Amino acid sequence: MIRHLFKLIWNRKKSNFLLIAEIFFCFLVLFGVLSLVTYNVRNYTKPLGFEHEDVWLVTMRPNSDSTAQNRQQLEQVLSRVRAFPEVGHAALTSSNAPFSFSQMNNSLSYGEVKDVMTDNYDVQDAYDKVMRLNITEGRWFNPQDNASHHSPIVINKMLKEKLFGQEEAVGKLIPKNDTTNYVVVGVTDYFRASSEFAAEDPALFNRINMDKSPDYFWNELLVRVKPGTGVAFEERMVKQLASIGKDWTIEVSTLEKMRQNKAKLTLAPMIALGLVCGFLILNVALGLFGVLWHNISRRNGEIGLRRALGAASKQIYWQFIGEVLVLATFGLLLGAFFAVQFPLLQVFQVESEVYFIALLSSIGIIYLLTAVCAFYPSRQAAGIHPAMALHEE
Amino acid sequence: MITLSNIEKVYQTKSIETVALQHVNLSVPKGEFLSIMGPSGCGKSTLLNIMGLLDVPSQGMVEIDGQPITTYKDKELAHIRNEKIGFVFQSYHLVHDLSVLDNVELPLLYRSGVSASERTKLAKAALEKVGLSARTKHFPGQLSGGQRQRVAIARALIGQPQIILADEPTGNLDSVMGEEIMNILLDLNRLDGTTIVMVTHDENMAQKTERLVRFFDGQQVSDAKVFANNLQQV
Ligand SMILES: Nc1ncnc2c1ncn2[C@@H]1O[C@H](COP(=O)(O)OP(=O)(O)OP(=O)(O)O)[C@@H](O)[C@H]1O
Ligand SMILES: [Mg+2]
Repeated sequence: MIRHLFKLIWNRKKSNFLLIAEIFFCFLVLFGVLSLVTYNVRNYTKPLGFEHEDVWLVTMRPNSDSTAQNRQQLEQVLSRVRAFPEVGHAALTSSNAPFSFSQMNNSLSYGEVKDVMTDNYDVQDAYDKVMRLNITEGRWFNPQDNASHHSPIVINKMLKEKLFGQEEAVGKLIPKNDTTNYVVVGVTDYFRASSEFAAEDPALFNRINMDKSPDYFWNELLVRVKPGTGVAFEERMVKQLASIGKDWTIEVSTLEKMRQNKAKLTLAPMIALGLVCGFLILNVALGLFGVLWHNISRRNGEIGLRRALGAASKQIYWQFIGEVLVLATFGLLLGAFFAVQFPLLQVFQVESEVYFIALLSSIGIIYLLTAVCAFYPSRQAAGIHPAMALHEE
Repeated sequence: MITLSNIEKVYQTKSIETVALQHVNLSVPKGEFLSIMGPSGCGKSTLLNIMGLLDVPSQGMVEIDGQPITTYKDKELAHIRNEKIGFVFQSYHLVHDLSVLDNVELPLLYRSGVSASERTKLAKAALEKVGLSARTKHFPGQLSGGQRQRVAIARALIGQPQIILADEPTGNLDSVMGEEIMNILLDLNRLDGTTIVMVTHDENMAQKTERLVRFFDGQQVSDAKVFANNLQQV
């Protein structure tokens, strides 16, 4: 019977062409949207590698050019912040704090491994306590690094695997520039700071040694406050800091708020795409329904004939459902041919698994959709009275 | 083979009630070639549909092969149609998107336990019987009316039914092609012993069969053995 259905659809390929094309395009759009959704959802379920609750980001912008004075005030601010009983830990950081909109990266080479792009985070020693990083190898920075001839760094597991594979990372020297080397002192399990929906990138933490850069001003301070600390403290803190840096602009945001902003950036287009896709599918479904309905009334004579030749009403029903599924199969085969090019050609830097999940769910949805559209017309076809149908022709 | 007792068929539409058949008592013995004649609208097709289990009478009883078929379900009726009855229609009713061979195979598709290769073999044999072996790969649109009807007959006989019901099989054909079709049916009846009931408007065709029943306004008005010159004795 299945062979018969394929034959029928194949012989009618000209009149079925539009339907097949419709299913094909519907599949491609669905595949695209589902790939995106799968990609985001998979990232979302992966660990971030840090805890952002109760962490605030204090941004400080001096308005005067006096470097020496600004620097002196910065040190005062630091000790003032650390003295608040509400504050657990505080660490200066480069401007690419988690969930921020800035990024810093450079490329590293180690032996045969060339040009690995990695995110760079300049951080103070308290950063691991502020962000609650999880060190799985070696250790985090500490004052004994002051004596090091090299620039101490902590890297994430991803960077470690890219540079050293399965080898031990701690103690390895990586060229920083012509004269100095990085030395790896520790490895964190994960660090995925750009967004909950973004994939993890290689990451490297640089130790901020304030004594070695006496002229430098860090604009961002990450502060872990005690749980339950609220706006009242924020106001008090800003007021006190403003009294130290009198001409500074000081802003405080929570990482939670920044996380939400970053999430919106991913969710808004995803929801919009989802709506467009849903609307498209609805249209295709209605079109499909209409065409099937029309086809079945056109094929009255054939239905009557098949009944006369020995088809039971149920068999007519399944024949029509089957035909639609076969039709969908043609569209899907064509669509799948294009869809598998994405993982095969690695068009984007996305794991193949994402595409396969999207592919399978798109196929499932299309089959379901076409079967649902075929349900009512097929039932109608099955209910056609054979004598009447033969008479009409 | 087929026995109709006291058949009545009334078509009920919103406003009008059409009595298509009334008090029909007709028995078709095994191996008979019966023709039915009557003016248009007198209920011939309705009668054939009832014999072919495509329609149910409003009253009366239909027996096929001695079995009364009042209580059968849709599936069982379909099974009996498939096994015992072959249909031939005035307008051929071929499926346009299937080749001649696939059209002829159709009845076997609804019969369990027939393999694809067996279907093809039987379809070729059936086409051979109607003299269309050279046209298996053609589509119905590429055939003449007479050829189409021969395909329809091949389709009717592929399942080796005991009964063939033909509703004006030569109605759309010129006399030469009609003659050809008639000869095929006569052969089927004489050589294979197939019971045939044929509705026709053509007196000449009717005269070639064994028995002629005339209808008028839903009622049987005459029933006679035919003694045509080519059939000296019965
Ligand atoms: N589905 C139906 N609904 C209502 N009336 C019907 C239906 N089918 C047939 N009839 C009526 O029943 C009567 C018998 O119709 P039938 O088709 O059996 O005639 P017929 O003898 O085959 O005519 P023809 O020689 O033109 O084919 C006609 O009056 C017709 O209008
Ligand atoms: Mg008729």
